[in-house]
Amino acid sequence: MFFAKILNYIRLAIAYVRLNWLSHIEYRNAFYIEAAGMFLNNVIWLVFWVYFFKAFPTVPTWTSSDVITLWAISAAGWGIAFVIFGNCRFLANIISTGQLDAWMLYPRHLLSHLILGKMKPSAFGDMVFGFAMYLFFVRPDFPHLALFCILTVSVAILFTGFSIVAGSLSFFLGNAESLALHLEFAMICFCTYPAPIFEGRIRWLLYTVLPALFVSYYPIEALRNLSIEQALYAFAGSLAFASIAVYVFYFGLKRYESGNLTVMRG
Amino acid sequence: MKYSHTIFRKYFALAFISARSNFAYFAEVLSRQLFLAVILYILLRLWQQTYSHCGLQQMAGLSLPQMLWYLTATEAIILSSSPISTIMDEEIRSGSLAMQLIRPTPYPLYRLALYLGERALRLLANFFIGSIICFVLVREIPVSVVGILALAMALPLAIILDFLGNFLVGLAAFWLENTSGILFIYSRLTMVLGGMLIPLDLLPAPYSNLAKSLPFASMVYGPARQFVHPCNFELLQFIVLQISWIFVFSIIVWQVYSLALKRVASNGG
Amino acid sequence: MAIKVENLTKQFILNKRDGWRSIKTEVLAVDSINFSVNSGQSLALIGPNGAGKSTTIKMLTGILHPSAGQAKVLGLTPWRERTRLAYQIGAVFGQRSQLWYHLPPEDTFELLSRIYNLDRNQYKEQRNLLIERFDLGPFLKTPVRKLSLGQRMRAEIAASLLHKPRLLFLDEPTIGVDIVARQELRDLIREWNKQDGVTVLITSHDAGDIEHVADRVIVINHGHIVLDDNLSNMRQRYLSSKILSARFHGEHKTVDLHGAKVLQSANYSIEVEIDTSVVTTEKVIKHILELGTIADISIEDPPLEEIIAHIYSQPVTNNDSSTHT
Repeated sequence: MFFAKILNYIRLAIAYVRLNWLSHIEYRNAFYIEAAGMFLNNVIWLVFWVYFFKAFPTVPTWTSSDVITLWAISAAGWGIAFVIFGNCRFLANIISTGQLDAWMLYPRHLLSHLILGKMKPSAFGDMVFGFAMYLFFVRPDFPHLALFCILTVSVAILFTGFSIVAGSLSFFLGNAESLALHLEFAMICFCTYPAPIFEGRIRWLLYTVLPALFVSYYPIEALRNLSIEQALYAFAGSLAFASIAVYVFYFGLKRYESGNLTVMRG
Repeated sequence: MKYSHTIFRKYFALAFISARSNFAYFAEVLSRQLFLAVILYILLRLWQQTYSHCGLQQMAGLSLPQMLWYLTATEAIILSSSPISTIMDEEIRSGSLAMQLIRPTPYPLYRLALYLGERALRLLANFFIGSIICFVLVREIPVSVVGILALAMALPLAIILDFLGNFLVGLAAFWLENTSGILFIYSRLTMVLGGMLIPLDLLPAPYSNLAKSLPFASMVYGPARQFVHPCNFELLQFIVLQISWIFVFSIIVWQVYSLALKRVASNGG
Repeated sequence: MAIKVENLTKQFILNKRDGWRSIKTEVLAVDSINFSVNSGQSLALIGPNGAGKSTTIKMLTGILHPSAGQAKVLGLTPWRERTRLAYQIGAVFGQRSQLWYHLPPEDTFELLSRIYNLDRNQYKEQRNLLIERFDLGPFLKTPVRKLSLGQRMRAEIAASLLHKPRLLFLDEPTIGVDIVARQELRDLIREWNKQDGVTVLITSHDAGDIEHVADRVIVINHGHIVLDDNLSNMRQRYLSSKILSARFHGEHKTVDLHGAKVLQSANYSIEVEIDTSVVTTEKVIKHILELGTIADISIEDPPLEEIIAHIYSQPVTNNDSSTHT
């Protein structure tokens, strides 16, 4: 029964990804330009950071391959998340402009259905970049590559969850579009710097509000030592955060259903 | 004489209205400051580690607090940028650019005025809040009045140059189906080659000089460097460089814009 | 019974900002309304903006929770069993499309079959039926952005019927559509209502929509039901007037005909309200033609706002909903 439900949802997700893809392919060049732009943009960043950490021994324990792995796993995880669940990133807008109504008319679980609604071409660029960098520059053996692929799923779950929480702020604050956007920027920032530079009390923040350590610490440690234990920590963190995200969304939805948000719009 | 005076007033009014309408987005201003605080904190941590692991008191002639004030300036500048090329992209694609063309103000100058107004406001907010955050983080203000004056001199030209760059990206919409890819690359180059995260002096010698002479350095690195480390000679040199780049960019923009107008004339927008 | 509503009430709490203080005010959007709709009936819900129409519809579809009262839609309580209800209702919003803008309608149909978990064979059967009845064949493979608004709305309504809903909500379905296409849409909705027995609940600003689609009309204002009557009564009383405007090449004589009331008269033009229960439109036109040399002439339904104002100006006798249940 549970298995059938999952299968049913995967079929729905595939149908959405297909339609999103077809929709973008209507403007083929625009899609490729955006995706390629994001790819190159990431390359510029990565070259810079590899240079930086080579030139200055800021984090003595980290090698260039660790830096590349960090970028690869964040980008690939981010890419997977928003190729499939691209509508997460519009959540704040959807809530504050009352577009949730239309989604509520479908016989599906609201959140899991809603987030399938869009795809960002740039996320495609991120996804390809992540896997390409890892394959070409880290040159992993098979176990590492397999673990990397599994961990990108964990990172994708975390980013999706974070995006849902950020977007759901619109339930409580009215239009939180730019706040959500900047929170996501902040999250990516924390995720793309080596975890060892953050010590002390800030770590609590990075486990909770901006859970970047489940991207920049556990997955990297797992890949370094080929440690299943560290990988499990990463998954545990991502799943816990995603569950909280679902709770926050449905908690906020009660305010929406009471209608007091709609009136705020006038 | 009188005529030029009224023209100036017209553009000033445009800039003013753009600044005011942006002030309405208070929530956006606020969340940008939140992000500014996050990124400054991260950079503080990064450079603290760098200074201590390198065992240095100064890098590129800057102490750690100076370095953080430098980074505050670069971040304040970068985060004040406005999405003008995205707006132009929409205007060009929807054909509303043609409407702008019949106005009595030339389109590039009209856009420039709006851009300056919006950016001036964002810069003020970012520098104000950024300074407070930076002070809280390093508990020191290693900035002199001369530095502030130097910043005030270098910043307007930097912003105009960045406008021309963005305007070019926006004009690409006449030829490309999507300009966001180019915008990603342009803004990333501004950040990396503009020295947003690292003073360009710290790059290896040949690259350092090359990067400093590129237009991106004139947009970000120059004003920030003069802010924390003013030097009359460098400032003069730097302003000459800015003006040269503005000259070069203006010519390119003018050429591309004329080409684009021909396309509007033949395709009807 | 398709819909049964008892004392349905919705109260909003409005936070008004006054400087730094926020003042809470309560707004009664829907005030204890009662009505019921039989299966297969076609009901129009009309009223000015902010009257409580869309709040009512949102409660009936389960989007909003009411503050008080009961509602059963197809035997379900919408806000408790929204998902189950969703399988059995269809919704069309004139201003919001569920078709994918850059893709042909058939792709959206395919996706909807997944969303509603439709059986493949039944889906294909229903889709083909809709393609035939709504004449979608010629543009089934054309991206929606290239369709005319009339074609788009046809595809839109077909899309909402794919899962064979028993109840169809239509919110301003003809907004912006040209006259010919508008009539086509009305006929299609009507046909589906009559032949397939789908219960229809429509809101519109267009008196013509209501006249051609609905059996029964509920007028709602300030959260109250001010009139609940069947269409023929409604038509006799309030929809019996037409507005005729004419422009002349020169001076014109004055109108003198029973049942034709002059609303405006200027040197070269005239506007007349025709009471069709007293005089036929044809007769009025003939009369107008005799007044001078005509340059231009048009006949329109009066705007709904005027009809509603008209309702207020007349004593209402038959507004008891119990007569229909």
